[in-house]
Amino acid sequence: MPKRKRQQHAPQAHKAYKQRLVLLYLVIALCFSLLAGGLAYRQLLQTESYLAAEERQNYRRILKPGPRGNIYDRNGELLVGNRPYFSATVYLNELRPEFRREFIRVLNRRREQGLTPDRFALAIEARRNVVQRYQNQINRILDRNDVVEPRRIERHFSQNLLLPYPLLLDISAEDYARLIEQLPIDSPVQVTADTARYYPHGSAAAHALGYVSDSQELPVGDLPGEGLLTFRFDGKVGRTGLEARFNEHLQGVTGGEIWSVDPGGFQHERIVFEQPKRGQDLVTTLDIRLQRAAEQAFGDYLGAAVAIEISSGEVLAMVSKPDYDLNDLTPFIPHTVDARIREEGGWLNRAIQGLYPPGSTFKLITTSAGLRRGLIEQSTEIYCPGYFRVGRRTFRCHNRSGHGHENLIEAIRDSCNVFYYDRGLAMGVQAIADEARRFGLHEPTGIELPNETRRMIVPDPAWKANRFYGESWFDGDTANLSIGQGFLLITPLQMAVMTASYARGVTGITPTVVRDQAGNPGSRRNQRAIEAIGITDEQLAWIHTGMIEAGRTGTARRASSPNFIAAGKTGTAQIRRDGRPATLAWYVGFAPADDPQIAVAILIEGVIGDGAIGGGGATAAPIARTIFEQWIGNSDIELSQR
Amino acid sequence: MPRRFSHQGKSLLLGVLILIFWLAAPTFIKQFSRVTFYEFQAPAWTALNYLHDLQDYWNYRQRSKNELIEAGIDMARLQAAYSLRIQEADAIREELGRLERFFELPSLPDYHYEVARVVRRDLNNWWQTLTIRKGRIHGIETGQAVVYSRGVIGRVREVHTYTAVVELISSPRFRSAVHIEGDLRPVEYQGGVNPGLGTPSGMARTIPADVRIPEDGSLRLISSRLGGVFPDGFVVGHLDRIQVGEDGLFQEGRVRLDPGLNTVREVAVLIPASQRRSERVQE
Repeated sequence: MPKRKRQQHAPQAHKAYKQRLVLLYLVIALCFSLLAGGLAYRQLLQTESYLAAEERQNYRRILKPGPRGNIYDRNGELLVGNRPYFSATVYLNELRPEFRREFIRVLNRRREQGLTPDRFALAIEARRNVVQRYQNQINRILDRNDVVEPRRIERHFSQNLLLPYPLLLDISAEDYARLIEQLPIDSPVQVTADTARYYPHGSAAAHALGYVSDSQELPVGDLPGEGLLTFRFDGKVGRTGLEARFNEHLQGVTGGEIWSVDPGGFQHERIVFEQPKRGQDLVTTLDIRLQRAAEQAFGDYLGAAVAIEISSGEVLAMVSKPDYDLNDLTPFIPHTVDARIREEGGWLNRAIQGLYPPGSTFKLITTSAGLRRGLIEQSTEIYCPGYFRVGRRTFRCHNRSGHGHENLIEAIRDSCNVFYYDRGLAMGVQAIADEARRFGLHEPTGIELPNETRRMIVPDPAWKANRFYGESWFDGDTANLSIGQGFLLITPLQMAVMTASYARGVTGITPTVVRDQAGNPGSRRNQRAIEAIGITDEQLAWIHTGMIEAGRTGTARRASSPNFIAAGKTGTAQIRRDGRPATLAWYVGFAPADDPQIAVAILIEGVIGDGAIGGGGATAAPIARTIFEQWIGNSDIELSQR
Repeated sequence: MPRRFSHQGKSLLLGVLILIFWLAAPTFIKQFSRVTFYEFQAPAWTALNYLHDLQDYWNYRQRSKNELIEAGIDMARLQAAYSLRIQEADAIREELGRLERFFELPSLPDYHYEVARVVRRDLNNWWQTLTIRKGRIHGIETGQAVVYSRGVIGRVREVHTYTAVVELISSPRFRSAVHIEGDLRPVEYQGGVNPGLGTPSGMARTIPADVRIPEDGSLRLISSRLGGVFPDGFVVGHLDRIQVGEDGLFQEGRVRLDPGLNTVREVAVLIPASQRRSERVQE
C-alpha cells in the first residue's frame, strides 16, 4: 500500500519539484542576468570612467616650466636674463632598495636592544639615514656640514615623490664644478640645472622691469594627462613692471612627462615627454646707458625722472628713487629685503604711481589756455609787484620784490606767478582745466606698465563740489591752479608726455616702453588719437621762446650746456606730508631746443619737514642736463645707425 | 658513449657548483679573488710591455748611422726649443708668483708628475681604460689626473702595487668640469660611447647659451681647476658644432677628442704637491 500510494503521489511530487526547479532556474537566470547586466553596464557604459580611474591610479604627470625670455634695451643690451641655478638633488625613487636595507638594519638593532619597534618611525629614520649618507657625500666634496631634516624628507615623500629631493640649492659655479667632477657618475645624486632671473645692471630701471616670484600656476597648454595626479616644478610669474605686464609673452612653454607608477607610487616607465621651451624675448625702448646716467645723477635724492623720445613717444629712461637691486629679489625675496624696501618706500614706482602738484611747470598749460582764448599775446604785459591780491587774500610771487613789467616770454623765463594769477583769473578755471584735459592730464597715459595710477586730479568747480560735499569754487582756487598748486595732482610721466607734446606741437602722444618690431608684443603706441595742439605755430613758437629763454638765462639755465640749449621750465611746489611741509622740485624740458629730440620730466621730493632742497632750477635742472648730455652725446654716434 | 655522457655530466655539475659557490660567496671573497687575479695578471702584462720595449730597442739598433745622426740633430733642435720653453715657463712662473704676492692671491695648486708607460689598452663600448706601469709604490692614488703631451688622458680609477688603471676621457664613465678656452664658466664634459676603433668623442653639456662657434673654426675645451682634480689649461678636445640642449637652458655638443688617445704610449700622472708634502711629513 505505501508503495502504491507513493506511486500515486509520485507525479504530483515530481510536478511540485519541477515547479520549484523552474523557479530556482528563474532565480538563477535572474541573478546571472543581473550579473551580466552589471558587467555590461560596467564594461560598456562605464568604460570611460574606469579607464580614467585606471589612468589616475597608474600614471603621474610632472610639469616643468620653460625658462622665461630675455628683456633687452633698445640697443640690444641685456637688461634681464636667466642665470643657471644649479642644485644637487636625489630621486628618492632610486633609493628604495637602500631604504629597505636600512629599515631592516635599524629594525634588527632595535630588536637586539630589546625595544619594541615603531615601524612607522623606523621607516622615517631609515629614509633619513640614507638621504643623510648622500648629503654627507656632498658635505665631504664641498667641505660643508649640512644635515637633512626628517620632516622635510617625509613631506617630500608624501607630496612630491616624483620630483627630485633637493639636497643643496643654488650652488656656485665652483661647487658645481667640484660636484660633477667628484660625484660618481652613477650616483643617485645629480646636479640639476634650473634658471633664476639675472639682472646685469642691478637696480637700473628696477621699477620698469619688475620682478618675478615662484609660482605653481604653470600654463599647461596642450599637454596631455589633464586629469592625472600632477607634480609641478616651481615656475616664475611676473609680479610687477614689464615682467608682469608681458608675463604671457615672456613665459616659457611648459614641458611635461607622464610616468607609469607602481602601487607604491614610484616611477616605473616614462610614457610621454615634452620638452619645455624658452619664452619669447622682449625688446624695450629703454636706453640703459641713459638710464644709468640718470640714476647716477639722481644720487641720494628721492623722486622720479622720465625721458621720452619726442618723435615716437618711446620711453628712454624711467627712474624712481628709492629703488632696489633686482638681484636681491631672486630666486626669492628675503623678509629682511622686503622690510627694508618697504620702510624706504622703494616699492612705489613714483614715475607712474606718484601723484604730485606740478608747481610752475603747469604754467605752460595756463599759457596755452590763454593763447587759445586770446587772453594772452606775446605783447601781453603784466606788472608784478611781488604779490597779487585775490579778495582779502594775498598771493606771493617767488620774487618777493617783484619782477616789474613782464611780457609772456619774460613771464615764462622768470616763472612769474603774478602774471599767471592775473591771466588765470581772467580766463577762469574751466579754461585751464579743459586745457589740462586736452593734454591728457586727467587720465592715465596708457603706458604698458601695470598699476599706473588713475587717481590724478584736474580740479574744477564740479570736482570740488563733489569731493567736498558741495563746497564752492573760489577765485583763490583758480589762482592756485594757474600756477600748478592747490588740488592739482599728476604723475611725472604725464609731465614728460606733456613736455613732448609742446615740443612736437601735438597732443595725444601715448608713451610706450615696448619697441615696435617683429617678435615683440603689440605696444600701445598711438592708442590715443594724435591731434594738433590747436594754437597757431606762432603762438607755439612764443611758448618755445619762453622756454628757451628760461634755458638760456632764466630759471632752467642749469639744464643747458655749452654744447646745446635746453628749452625748459622749472617748478617748486609745497606740499604737506604727515602734517609737515615738504618741497617738490620740478624740471620739464626738451633738447636740443632747435631740433627737439628728447623730453624729460624730473621730480625731486624734499625730505618731510626739511625743505632744504633747492628749487627746480637748482636741484632738478642739473639732472636733466646729465640726461640731455648723455643722449645728445650718444646720438652723434648712433643717429646714423637708427 | 654513456661513459662520455657521464664525464660531461660531471663537468657540467662541477661548473654549476662553482657558479653557485661564486654567487653565494661573500663580497669580500669576490673582491679578494678579483684583486689577486689582477695582481697575478699584471706582471705578465708588464713583462710583455718590457718585451715590446726590447723589440723597439732592437728595431732602432737596425737603423743606419745616417738616420741616427739625423735623429740626433732633430733631438738637439728639440732640446734647444724645449730649453727655451723651460726658461719662458720659469719667467712666467716668477711673474705669476710676483702677481700673487702683489694681489695677495692664494697660490695656484702645484703638481708633481710621474711619467708612466702604457702596458695595456682596454677599449670598448662600455669602458675605455689604460693600464700604466706605475702604481701605489710610486705615489699614485685613485682620482689623480693623467695627462700627455697633447692634453688630458683621464683619471686614475684603480691603483695596484706596481700598476694603475686609468679611465680615459673617451669613456662614458668619465665626467669632468672643463672650460671653453677664454671663458671661465664651467662646462660639463662626459665621455661618449666609443667603439674601439675610430676617432674618440665625448659630450659637452651646460654650455652657456651665449657661446657661439666661430665661423672659421672650432672651440677648444680645456681642463679646469674648479673641479679640484685637473689643473687649468690642458686640452680636452674641440667643439665643432653646438645646439640647444634638451632643457632649453644650455647648449650641448659633441667633443672631438685627439685620436692619439688610442695609441698613446707614455703618460704623466699629476700628483698634487700637497700629497707629496704630507707623505714627507709622515716619513
